[in-house]
Amino acid sequence: MGLVQRVLEASGLPTVALSMIPALTRAVGVPRLAGIGYPMGQPFGKPYDAEGQRAVLRATLALLTTAAGPDTYVELPFEWPESPARARLASKDLPPPPIVELLRKKPWLLPRLYGGWIPRPHEGAHSG
Amino acid sequence: MSLDSYRFLDFASRQVMKAWAARQDYDGIPFTPMAKPLHACTVALVTTAGVARIEDRPFDQAGERRNPWWGDPSFREIPLETSERDVKLYHLHIDPRFGEADLDVVLPMRRLAELASEGVVGSPARTHYSLMGYILEPEELVEKTAPAIARRMRAEGVDAAVLAPA
Repeated sequence: MGLVQRVLEASGLPTVALSMIPALTRAVGVPRLAGIGYPMGQPFGKPYDAEGQRAVLRATLALLTTAAGPDTYVELPFEWPESPARARLASKDLPPPPIVELLRKKPWLLPRLYGGWIPRPHEGAHSG
Repeated sequence: MSLDSYRFLDFASRQVMKAWAARQDYDGIPFTPMAKPLHACTVALVTTAGVARIEDRPFDQAGERRNPWWGDPSFREIPLETSERDVKLYHLHIDPRFGEADLDVVLPMRRLAELASEGVVGSPARTHYSLMGYILEPEELVEKTAPAIARRMRAEGVDAAVLAPA
């Protein structure tokens, strides 16, 4: 997502990103970033919490005005109302992502993911 | 950075993401100053929750299941009036049910419209955009998809964009 943000910004559009994993987003070099301690899948807040969602969006938008230069990073002061364990529990019944399933079956491929050695699409299907 | 970026992730995902973050390298950071005040800006949203309208082409989940190293690098347009009744979330790495219960959880178009009526922003763009969030090989995303989104935003008079992962 940070890579897309860079392209939009370079095309002449001011951009701001919200991120639950700001360390990862910031590592690709983005102009304006708001970090938030919310779980994946719910960046703006819980379903039906219009007020909470509006507050997160408003705080994210504010960075467009306050950022004086690139790599502006702000941590938003919102707290998720559940513990990480409880937040994970809500999605326990879902199957894991395909890459996780693959690595469970073939853990020796983990160094590829860890090292960023990603098979190109044409070889991916035969990657072991 | 005091916020624990990885608090909600399991141990393995955390390690992989830390390794990815450590390996990233970039050549300068682009920065475009705001050309007008926020309250005069048309604002567009971008989500990586893999949102697509039901009548639109789905994101390629089967392709990712066949080759878990791959993620669909295409994008979908989401018109302003779209609601959770009109969409599906195709991202295989998140729980889609939150965004499918209330689309504003991932793509807050109604919240943006409310902030426009409060005068915080000028207006919401007519069109917003959705991508898949897990793309390990970002060449097509960066070379084709993102420039195409930029062109469409420009054509619709967008002044600023908010991106949110999922």
